[in-house]
Amino acid sequence: MNKDFYSKLVDLYAGRELPEELEAEMEAAALVDSELSHEMKSLRDVTDALQGMPDPDDIELSLQRVRQRLIQAGAVTKDIAPETPVWQYRLPIQG
Amino acid sequence: MSNQSRDTSEAERRWLSALASGDQDALSGLYELFGEKIFRYAYNMLRNRSDAEDVTAETFLRVLKRSGELRADGAFKTWLYRIAHNLCIDKMRQHKLMELPPDIQVTGTEHRSSIKVMVHQALEQLPIEYREPLILCDLEDVTAKEAAAMLDLTVPALKSRLYRGRRALRNKLGGSMRDMVK
Repeated sequence: MNKDFYSKLVDLYAGRELPEELEAEMEAAALVDSELSHEMKSLRDVTDALQGMPDPDDIELSLQRVRQRLIQAGAVTKDIAPETPVWQYRLPIQG
Repeated sequence: MSNQSRDTSEAERRWLSALASGDQDALSGLYELFGEKIFRYAYNMLRNRSDAEDVTAETFLRVLKRSGELRADGAFKTWLYRIAHNLCIDKMRQHKLMELPPDIQVTGTEHRSSIKVMVHQALEQLPIEYREPLILCDLEDVTAKEAAAMLDLTVPALKSRLYRGRRALRNKLGGSMRDMVK
């Protein structure tokens, strides 16, 4: 595998779209190629930074406000709780 | 497909079926499934809470208006995001005409907030054709295939914009990158 080949895969590496073995191969090649190393690291850092971004502040408050607007517009007539699985074990007791 | 994804697909199918047969309360169920995703997407696009709330509410109102067209064929999410996308574009045009700035909120711990602000400010400076794929695929965890369908692009075209967008964002952030990945 040569440098040109790895350069073409840098975007896939950044998005973690490559098989583990090929990733490891590229990382080994990057140890002796500073340009490749910079491309790989900087693009992955960007992707990781975006994927690690926190949610907007007070998201629940906004979602409540939107919910109220839908109720006021007559689009929904009542709140429905999110679907939750029933975990409670029913005891086989009678009486 | 994970158990959670399977459960969500099941719930989506049920609510869509109910809505298509005239059960208006089914919209509440769909809002529970997708409301947060749509709000986050709109907020990342517009960087304005009030506008994001407008877009989110209007997106679901339009779902109700067109409920007769709904099919439980797995394309609902794409359709929903497309509605939200069009509404976001309309809001951006309004802002441009009225020259209204987005919110700049810095809350929470100083370091984390300043990184958040830096990344969002850099994102805002990108052209929309680069910004939106980044928001969908890297911020919202939408697949490239779904994002391509939402934006009416081929998958290669979407990926090209995504990869160019990452490079453009990297160039904008420059030396700040080191601080972000501590």
